Amino acid sequence: MKYDDVSYKEIIMEYTRKEMMAIATGREIKDHDLCIFGVGLSMLAGYFALAHHAPHAKAITEGGVYGSSPVGGLPWGIEDNRISANATCFTGALDALGFMVASGRCDLGIIGAAQIDKFGNVNTTGFWEDPQSRHFGRPKTRLNGTGGANEIACGCKRVVIMAAHEKKRFSERVDYITTPGYLEGGNARDRYHFVGTGPSAIITTLGILRPDAVTKEFFLDSYFAFSGIEEMRANTGWDLKISPRAQVTPKPTGKELEVLRAIDVTGMLRK
Amino acid sequence: MIHMANKLIPLKEAVTRFTRDNMVYASGAGLPVGSDSIVFGMEMVRQGRKHIHYMLHSCSQQVNLFCAAGTCDRVEAAFSGLEVYGFANGIRKAVESGRVIWEDWSNLAMVLRFMGAALGWPFVPATVNIGSDLQWRSSFNPDGFPCKVKIPDVIDPFTGKVYGALPVARPELAVIHVTMADIEGNAIVLGTEWSRYELARAAGRVILQADYIVDTDCMRQYPNLVRIPDFLVSAVIPWQLGAWPQCSVGVYDSDEAQMNAMNTMLGTREGYESFREKYIDSWQTHEEFLAVIGEETIERIMTNATTHLMDPYRKWVKEGLEIRSLMNDSIHSLQDRFAPGHIAING
Repeated sequence: MKYDDVSYKEIIMEYTRKEMMAIATGREIKDHDLCIFGVGLSMLAGYFALAHHAPHAKAITEGGVYGSSPVGGLPWGIEDNRISANATCFTGALDALGFMVASGRCDLGIIGAAQIDKFGNVNTTGFWEDPQSRHFGRPKTRLNGTGGANEIACGCKRVVIMAAHEKKRFSERVDYITTPGYLEGGNARDRYHFVGTGPSAIITTLGILRPDAVTKEFFLDSYFAFSGIEEMRANTGWDLKISPRAQVTPKPTGKELEVLRAIDVTGMLRK
Repeated sequence: MIHMANKLIPLKEAVTRFTRDNMVYASGAGLPVGSDSIVFGMEMVRQGRKHIHYMLHSCSQQVNLFCAAGTCDRVEAAFSGLEVYGFANGIRKAVESGRVIWEDWSNLAMVLRFMGAALGWPFVPATVNIGSDLQWRSSFNPDGFPCKVKIPDVIDPFTGKVYGALPVARPELAVIHVTMADIEGNAIVLGTEWSRYELARAAGRVILQADYIVDTDCMRQYPNLVRIPDFLVSAVIPWQLGAWPQCSVGVYDSDEAQMNAMNTMLGTREGYESFREKYIDSWQTHEEFLAVIGEETIERIMTNATTHLMDPYRKWVKEGLEIRSLMNDSIHSLQDRFAPGHIAING
């Protein structure tokens, strides 16, 4: 079936929240982008974009798998057999994360967040009883650490952050800055001469936040059709500002859903 | 005729000779679902090594096991999860209870630190990790915020701009998983290298754990692909499926059921004891190890989408009988070369 087949207009579309999130993330990818994705949802979003509207975009993994696409289902890891079966180049972490990402060559990176603040600083390291203590003791809850997200946030031209939109995750202050967003906001990143300009969007399970051009505080830019401004504000731990042009995010098209589901062969996003 | 040093060594003996308590140990590739020298780590647990300071790239079931077994006290790595398999239970429990001190770096920072050591640099300038709590918070130096000793400021002498200085990472021993090696230690890795290239040049001693032993003619056919040359390598352990339950690209898939089962078991004391009994104490030889995995599982994980990657090399793969015979002629069969547990960096 061709994607522009008129029959799509007759389909009554049903989609899951995760599918909306993946499609919204995929829309951030432009044709000809050099991209780096993490494992799981971000990988599905990325390969959806390559198959749907960015055929000339290229994807790399942190360890240096280039030119491949998943075979046989969602990869268990960023270097496993499902992502290695049809690669055109295997290299290493210095090449992928150094020469391609930290150098500023990579256009777009997608990362996840367990906790995030209004300036797009991300915590994936842990939670502490007293996160402000001068003594850095053992964590109350150990999370996974940064992996390669830190260099993606420092080096990629554009960074998209994916996060479950819950009040406990969207907090005024993160326990630990694993991955820098705009730090204290404004031009704070300039102190560190980062090559990348900082996160361009936070795609949540409810909608999309984008940074203010001057203050760099993230505001509500659009909300998914099943969500709304009040639901997003109620699930945000800071006083979330609303764009005067805030509107509903365009729903997935039939073509988008078909392409996404062809990538998501194990149905991870439909569970 | 060129003299060839035969460096094959049995697993048990390699651990006895080249590891000791309190050592700074590294494994490669050190990945959750990619390959790692898992079976070497199992043998270290069996031999009761303690107080290991472990450096690795990302997480792996080896560090998950070490944390559960009480083998390591300190870890330096970029990631502590098992990717789609979730949080690593052994690590979480050990870090949250304070039994293991975990120092966080990023994936690029770890490879730069190995590279710096390999080059003999005093430190590596960092354009990443700075400005975040990876710089300001140190588990190894917990008092004093912001931390000034983990990634101290360094001034670019040409521009005056302030960046960070990453300390180089020089493990005493690196045990690196490779797809294939010859008896001298020339190695080819299928799939990504991660930081195995840099780690092989940073460590004081390198041991390879190889899925296949191949004839050196294979290396002469594909010399561009030999990224770890023999003279860096002290010993080669032939051990097919030695990254199980993780994967070895071109050879076997990760074992989904065992990845989950192992992680569940490592989450409790009783579970760890059960893991140890079922998966470490239950085998001594390679044949017994394969029996623990089971024929059905082996068949399943060796039937995967990457096996074509191994095809060009198959004609040089040595079979078990020949490997056993070669093992007897190895330089390591000379018992006086290394005293047990002694680390002779240039030995």
